Order: sequence, then structure tokens, then C-alpha cells
Amino acid sequence: MSVLIHAASRLLVQGITGNVGRFSTRDMIAYGTRVVAGTASGRSADDVGGVPVFPGVKAACAATQADASIAYVPASAAFDHVIEAFEAGIGLVIYPGDELPVQDAIELRAAARASDAIFIGPNTPGVISPGKAKAGFMPSFCYAPGPLGVISRSGSLSYEACFRLTGAGLGQTTVIGIGGDPIKGLTAAEALDLLHADAETRAIVCLGEIGGGDEYAVAEYAARPGAKPVAALIVGRKAPPGKKMGHAGALIGSHADTHSAKMKALERAGVHATGTISGLVAAAKRALAASR
Amino acid sequence: MLLIEHEGKALLAGVGVAVPPGVVARSADTLGRRKLPYPVAVKAQVASGGRGKAGGVVRADSPAQARAAARKLLAMKFGGEKPRGVLVEPWLAIERELYLSVTVDAAADGYAVLYSPRGGVEVEQGAALVRCDVGPARNFRAYRLREALADVEADAAVRERVVALAHRLVLLASSRDCTTVEINPLAMLADGSLVSADAKVVRDEYARFRAADIAERIDAEHARQPKAIARALAGKLMLVWLNGEIGLISGGAGMTMAAMDLIADAGGRPACFLDCSANPTPEGYRLAFDLLDGEPRVKVILVSIFGGLTQMDRVARVMKEIMSERRSVMPVVFRLNGTNVAQANEILAKAGLHNNATIEDAVREALSFARAGGRR
Repeated sequence: MSVLIHAASRLLVQGITGNVGRFSTRDMIAYGTRVVAGTASGRSADDVGGVPVFPGVKAACAATQADASIAYVPASAAFDHVIEAFEAGIGLVIYPGDELPVQDAIELRAAARASDAIFIGPNTPGVISPGKAKAGFMPSFCYAPGPLGVISRSGSLSYEACFRLTGAGLGQTTVIGIGGDPIKGLTAAEALDLLHADAETRAIVCLGEIGGGDEYAVAEYAARPGAKPVAALIVGRKAPPGKKMGHAGALIGSHADTHSAKMKALERAGVHATGTISGLVAAAKRALAASR
Repeated sequence: MLLIEHEGKALLAGVGVAVPPGVVARSADTLGRRKLPYPVAVKAQVASGGRGKAGGVVRADSPAQARAAARKLLAMKFGGEKPRGVLVEPWLAIERELYLSVTVDAAADGYAVLYSPRGGVEVEQGAALVRCDVGPARNFRAYRLREALADVEADAAVRERVVALAHRLVLLASSRDCTTVEINPLAMLADGSLVSADAKVVRDEYARFRAADIAERIDAEHARQPKAIARALAGKLMLVWLNGEIGLISGGAGMTMAAMDLIADAGGRPACFLDCSANPTPEGYRLAFDLLDGEPRVKVILVSIFGGLTQMDRVARVMKEIMSERRSVMPVVFRLNGTNVAQANEILAKAGLHNNATIEDAVREALSFARAGGRR
């Protein structure tokens, strides 16, 4: 199986008439994703690459039974669009954009809970279940079906990592971009629970970095009795202290050396951890071997 | 974006939090013309921490002393930072220093309140804090914070004042896009009242589209940056100088860090990280090359991009153009992968440019150029 996004998922693209919306819609359809509808504020009776465009989510759902959504809108409009999707009854909403105000992320996470829905993002390429469907803009050729569940805080790192895993014959059930912001929708702990419950996922690969606390949730999971084997890559070992790296919010400063602290916590929990991208495939192989 | 003390206090005062009545002066002379309630505290206005220990707060008992203090402080630097003025406030007769802050925390799914009955330097030195998770601001519950405080704060009257104050800080944080509002010390005076003797307020830069004061502050901050950084920011590039010789042009924080780790492992040092992911356009990349070509320390440029939304055939076309126009002879090493990489490889090959298959290969090539002093 896969988690979150499946072959039968009926995807809605909010903001489908923008440049990113058009590009990604074409790309997702080419991958085999069932993109059933799009929305664009103030438009209707239009279509993008054969996908009907509606003025709002409620109308789109009524006509197409969309059950998942990805919103390609600027950060200033993200809150409204994601809430609209929740209130129309959509159970999975992805906001891939970055620079979402923290206050909005707090409210969206709370709204997802209240609606019994899942919010993924911000600052993520999305979710892909290789060979089935993808909701996001990750480069498709980096992925192949297989036994690994992957969780990542960073988009670019997840492409590189999955490119290597796929090249080594290690395919994936689902690759979940949880995003690198401090307050996120689906957390690392929740993503781990999903992959834990998935029968086809035999081992889990976590792609992390300095700053934040997600990697400690990974260690906590791995230490649980009956946990699936976990491999982890933590980058940023040589990042300069006190500098913000990109906009992902990886920052060392208050915690003197979070890289070695995280590596230690992961190793203590039995995670096959590596501090370099060159060591990722070997670590994943060790985790898979432990699953037999 | 960390506000200077007096800016943070203005936000606090705006929601009815007690702050000492202060005046800000940019020079000792302007201070001399003000009527002040002596004794006063003259405080350097810097964002850097550890100001007190560095001598950034001076007591003055007369106009002459205040002017001398201001002159001295304005000539000092704190953590490399020149004060942007002095804040002069009445000298507080503090009975006890407390600590109170509201901050955004993932474990709380929103805001968390932190408190200590002993604030000031003790907290800076790592004294334990009592924590009460709130989540979204509307989930603030006075009784929960009261329960949390009961263990550490013996004075019931102080507890009640802290609970009321914490509620205001949570509302301030959520309504004005603050990710941290820290009051340390929170001064308890002889009559039991609480006054914010200092304020450390961090505002969320991502909220600039709806907060004119944040946008203004970001623009002012950018204008203060050195020329190259200001140019990068104006072009939506993120540039941080480091002290090595490999100019790293990249996209995305995660891969940038992975590349920096590999560079260090191979015995090299990055000269910078320069993230173009917010502006992956011809203009953005041209600016990136221009910035690095103009920096003598950089011996080789390493372009490492793994694009998802960024279409690599477009990037390759831009790289080809840049390489043909560029005057600098500094070597450039490529590692491009991602969406449309097959077309990208064709474009680069036709232009006689080598695209490394792996980031490890690219790092090795860059290092060999750097060791040769940047010569081909």
C-alpha cells in the first residue's frame, strides 16, 4: 500500500490557472495522477489541460468528488485556500509554498484537527506514492515503487536522496515532504505513525537537518517496541553556527551542536544514522536488511 | 527579526503592558536637552544579547553623567553591532527580577508560556523554566498557567499578575505576528507591581505582506547590510559569506547543507552559500555569478542545483548564456539534476560544458581547481 496519496486519489489543484499550477498539473497527470478538478478565484467554465476549473472548492467537490487538494497560491492567500478545502470536506490538503507566517501555520494545524483532516506543509514539494500518483512537483524520475517509506524536511535533499535510493534499486511506498518550518501540518511523529501502519512499508528513511526537534521524534519512534527499522540522514554537520541556512529555518545557535546531539539520540535508539549523503544508500540497506 | 528594546517596548505598551516611561536619543547632545527623572538608566539599543554584562546599561544621576554615558555607549560595539541610539528610563528600584516569555514551539502546536521566579542573568545562565503549552492563542487557559505557576511562585498576588500579563503577551504575539515575546527581567517593584524592564520581541518576517511595520523594518535592515548582501537580497537571493574559497551557488537549504558537508569532508571550505531557489531566473543567476566573480576570495564556483519546480533545461540555457558572456576566468563546476535533466545535459554538452553526474564528483573537481589557485 501507500499512505496519503493512492492510485485512486482524486486530486484538486487550487490555483490551477497560475504558472506553477499549470506546470504541475500537466506533470502530475503525466505521472498518472487523477487530477479531477482545479479552482481559480473568479473563474469558471474554463479548463487546464482537460481538467475542469471551478470558482470554489465546494463546487469542485460536488462535481468531481475530489478527496485531496494541493494549493498553488501565494503565502498571503494560503490560509484562506486551505481552510476552504477543509470546510468543503477534503481530508488531505497540501500547501507546498514557503514563507507562510507562523501564525497561519498554527491556525491551519488546529483547523485540520478540528476538521479531522490532514494538512501537509508549508514549504514542501508534496507527497508521492511511486508508480501510483503524486501530489506535488518533485522530479518523477527520482522515484520507483518499493519497500521504503521516506520522510523529509527538505525538498532538494529528498530529490537527491530518492534519486540515489532508486538508483540502488531501493524503491519507495510513499515519500512524504513534511517541510522544514517549525510549525507544520503533518509532523514527523504523525508521518511515522502512518508509515508504521502501512503493511508494504518495510523500513523507514528519515531525511533531517540541524535545528528543530523532528529528529528526536524519529528517535522516539525507533526506540518503540515493534518499530520498523529506520535509517536517517542528518545534514548540516559543517554548517556555520548561528547562520540561517536558506529559508527552511535550519539554524544552529541556541543548541551548541544539534548535529552531533541528533546523531547520538538516533544511534542510541537503534537508527541506522549517517551524517553524509554518500552514506545514505548503505544506511537504508542496513535498515531493510534488519526488516527481514 | 529581533526588535530593538525600545521598539519591543512600544509594542508592549500598545497592549497595556507596563513599561518604564523612556526616551530614545540618537546622540549625547540631543539627550542633553531633555528633562529626565534622575537617577536614570542609559541603555544601548542593540539587538545583540549579553548587553548587561558587556556594560551596555549605565546609571546616571545628573545630566552631565547621562550625556557622558550616552557618548560612551554610542561609541561602543556589542557583538560587533553599533548601538542605534540609547534608551533612557527612570532607574527602577527592583525588589525581585522575574522571567516571562511567550514563544512559538512545535511541541505546543503553537505558543508556549515560560516562567521563572528568578529572572535576569540567572535565566541567561540556564536556570530551569516552568513551561505551560497554549497552542493557538484562543486556547490560553488561565487556570492551567495558574496550576503550572503554583509549584514555583509562592506569592499568590504575583502569580495572578503573571497570569494576566502572559495572556496579553499571547494575544500580542498572535495579533501582531510575533514568534517570541520575552521579558527578562520582569521587574517586581516594592508595591508588588510588575514592570517590563527589558523586552526581546521577535517578529515574523513572513508576515510582511500584512504588517507594514514589519515590511518597513525589513527594508531598513536590508539597507544596513554590506553592499553585496544588499544586492543579493534585492535580487531575492540568500547570500551568507563564509571564509573558504569555493563559491557555492545552490537551490534549496537541504542540498546546500549536504554539499557543504561534502566540501568540508574533502578538505575544502565554502566561500559562501548562495541560495537561488527563490529567484531561479536568468536575472537571479546572473546576479549570483556577478557577486561571486567580484569577490577575490572565491577561487572556483560550484553550481549545485537539484530542481523540482525549477526546470533544469531552463537553468542549463541560462548557464550557457552566462558562461559565454562572462568576463571572469574563474573556473565553474556544474552539477545540475532534476526536472528535465536530459534536455539540460544536451544543452550543456552542446555548449562544451561538463555536467558532473554526482555531487561528490563536482566537489572533487571544484577542490582541484581551488588547490590550483583558481586556474584551469
